[in-house]
Amino acid sequence: MAFTIVCPVCGIRRSYEFRFGGEDKGPRPEEDTLTPATWCEYVHLNNCVAGIQKEWWFHRDGCGSWFTIYRDTTINQQVENSIDETNP
Amino acid sequence: MTVNLERRSPVTLKGRPAKTEIRDGWRIVSRYSGNAQGPHIIDLSHFSRWDIQDDALEQVEPYGSKIPAKPGQIFMDINLLIGRLNRTQAIAWHFAPEKPVFPQTKAFTDITDAAVAIALTGPWVFDLAEKLCALDLSEPDKNPPFLVQGPFSHVPCHIWVLHHEDSRGCIALTCSRGYAGDMVNGVLEAGAQWGILPEGEDRFRSWMGW
Repeated sequence: MAFTIVCPVCGIRRSYEFRFGGEDKGPRPEEDTLTPATWCEYVHLNNCVAGIQKEWWFHRDGCGSWFTIYRDTTINQQVENSIDETNP
Repeated sequence: MTVNLERRSPVTLKGRPAKTEIRDGWRIVSRYSGNAQGPHIIDLSHFSRWDIQDDALEQVEPYGSKIPAKPGQIFMDINLLIGRLNRTQAIAWHFAPEKPVFPQTKAFTDITDAAVAIALTGPWVFDLAEKLCALDLSEPDKNPPFLVQGPFSHVPCHIWVLHHEDSRGCIALTCSRGYAGDMVNGVLEAGAQWGILPEGEDRFRSWMGW
């Protein structure tokens, strides 16, 4: 897992300093219409994209910030955002 | 009834103290015997450190001093260092011999007893740091003093690069108190090839021009 991540506070660092926080699945489902099935899907099910995905990272050995980046899972590198987030 | 509190540094350095004093419950070594050129390792754990957290840090002024605007920047004055960590957090570090008055506002937390603090001074300290730290503390774009948050000897640290001139310099490290023994052993092991020695706080003051 040797790649670099740009922390918004500390700048570019080795990925070994970070903890993976999972896919960014957007905001929590509305509680008014929440069912066990939708909550289970939100918490446990992933898209596992082969390509660019938005994901959470935690700078464990540095500033302690949580932030999101875009990573191309096929080449395992951080990339610029090229996802159309208005049409997920 | 008077209670005399004894406070113990998490750092134990093997050396022969030439001058010690008791200050605010801490037994402090001002000077070790011998006058070697170094590099030196200095225990700074007894100096007061405050964690400052506030949503509007620009309005918080520890000791009437402004907190630097950007993460990594350090404000340095006589007996005072203030380092910016992120948007909402900073650290203030006092080196005055007398105990500072603790501000009674919610932004401040005294973390003196929670962390270990050591300084590395003298020649070869940046060579020594390269053995223990993957971060580039000699980056030409950065002019000391500056603050880096990252692993040093595999321990999450605040790394205060205070002085850098050729191969000589002064680096202060702070990390959680429980790492003290391993951190000091790591530094001593890495610095053995340059003859690293323990020193007292007088040496640190002279480096800082205080």
